[in-house]
Amino acid sequence: MMAIYFGFILLVAWAKPLLGRQLVPGLSLGILLGALVIVAAWVLIRVYVRWANSTYDSAVARIRESGR
Amino acid sequence: MTSGLGGPNVAAILFFFGFVSVTLVITYWAARRTRSTEHFYAAGRSVTGLQNGLALAGDYMSAASFLGIAGLVALSGFDGLIYSIGFLVGWPVVMFLIAEPLRNLGRYTFADVVAYRLRQTPVRIAAAIGTLAVVTFYLIAQMVGAGNLIKLLFGLPYEWAIVIVGAVMMAYVLFGGMLATTWVQIVKAVLLLGGAFLLAVMVLRRFSLNPLALFASAAEQFGARVLAPGQLVADPLDALSLGLALMLGTAGLPHILMRFYTVPDAKTARTSVSYATAFIGFFYLLTFILGFGAMVIVGPDAIKAVDKGGNMAAPLLAEAVGGEGFLGFIAAVAFATILAVVAGLTLSGAAALSHDLWVNVVRGGHAPEHEQFVVARIATVLGGVASIALGIVFKGQNVAYMVGLAFAIAASANFPALVLSVFWRPFTTRGAQASMIVGTLSALLLIFLSPTIQVSVLGRASAPFPLRNPGLITIPLSFVVGIVVSLLTKESEAGERFPAMQQRLHLGPESDQA
Repeated sequence: MMAIYFGFILLVAWAKPLLGRQLVPGLSLGILLGALVIVAAWVLIRVYVRWANSTYDSAVARIRESGR
Repeated sequence: MTSGLGGPNVAAILFFFGFVSVTLVITYWAARRTRSTEHFYAAGRSVTGLQNGLALAGDYMSAASFLGIAGLVALSGFDGLIYSIGFLVGWPVVMFLIAEPLRNLGRYTFADVVAYRLRQTPVRIAAAIGTLAVVTFYLIAQMVGAGNLIKLLFGLPYEWAIVIVGAVMMAYVLFGGMLATTWVQIVKAVLLLGGAFLLAVMVLRRFSLNPLALFASAAEQFGARVLAPGQLVADPLDALSLGLALMLGTAGLPHILMRFYTVPDAKTARTSVSYATAFIGFFYLLTFILGFGAMVIVGPDAIKAVDKGGNMAAPLLAEAVGGEGFLGFIAAVAFATILAVVAGLTLSGAAALSHDLWVNVVRGGHAPEHEQFVVARIATVLGGVASIALGIVFKGQNVAYMVGLAFAIAASANFPALVLSVFWRPFTTRGAQASMIVGTLSALLLIFLSPTIQVSVLGRASAPFPLRNPGLITIPLSFVVGIVVSLLTKESEAGERFPAMQQRLHLGPESDQA
């Protein structure tokens, strides 16, 4: 996530003309990437929740059982 | 275009009274269920994932983001969106590093977690200073914002507005505790999301429901530069520093962290972050449309004529597309937003004062339950009175930098100590203290020396420190100080308790009895 976001910020800082290029009228690369950063943050969290709810929680449950 | 802003708006007043009545009924209901300290600070740990997700979103989406970002986008286009994005990307950090350890290790405040295996008194004092610094600056920004907003929207005198906000907010927290605060946040989050969505749809109807047509129209009228990065973050280092503070600051805001204690277990904490991120992400995507909508439909000049900072862009847009009634609704939503955020902040400040300082430092962790409860309420009254006083003292000041300052302190004082304490075994009491104090002081000092204060507030020509936001320096500094001091001061007990803490971190509080 940090890589995605700081990649975006670095583009903002150093590649202004690139981000200003319009892919189709009205949609500049900057706006598209910005929206994608927001979507990516959410997707990452969903992936983590799925992993944690299945793999991590069952591992924790096993440890708890063996501890008793 | 003439605007109804500034005069009393009947619809706004009705909507606002509606909101206050509903929330006071909720408070009455919550007050009957708030009988212990655990209820007061943590809503009896009975909040569900969806509820807490909405409440987190409510706490996080302040009027600053609703009004401020819409205004920034309306006036400077793409640059405003950098804030939208920056405010969201902290949430994965909260998720991966903070949410579950916090729920499993602490009781009411983040200091519980930092102090878990360290010596209580010194760590809690330092953590309380960090918390109170963040809460104070955030509160000033919200209160001054509230005063100005209400003056513009309802035509009410500034001091009156401040006193009303303070009094209603105190009623929520004092009587209803965390349960009432949570439900106020939920109501407000639903109103804000609904209001912003409705406004966005009404804007897009003029562009055949196609956001790209809106952006294209903005580019046509104001030049393609509005869709590209421009002047606002001219310096790359400045952009990076702001980004870092926004991202890590989220994971150090006391009123956000406190929410993770209101849920029954770590799994619910996880679910609530997932919901919160969905709501907040959706909201910030809407700000793209609201900002450009205000730019095209209202126009930057008309917005600047009402408020130079652009804060009235969203209300003006509401009036332009939906008439006076809709303006009233959006104005009331903005007011409700401030009220709810201020309540959350006051509660977290009260927790730092009473739980960290009084119960754990003054009374050494052994205060009877009824005393804790009474002290918590006294601290709430102190917090409420202080916020009214601060709001009046800072009247007319330029406080736009204060939210940034709160994020910078949260990121450099609270976040490093929290992460090091949970994940780095050699961390010691002295290390934690040094990291939190240096983080707070360096953030304060560098902001004072930065262009934000020296040029924008004091009107000097240049500033000794070049960056507007100090995060790039102060966050690494705080980590380094914490690590170096820990290595210099060996504390064997802290290391010995690390495995027990790790066990509880993963297995939850129930594992203690096992």
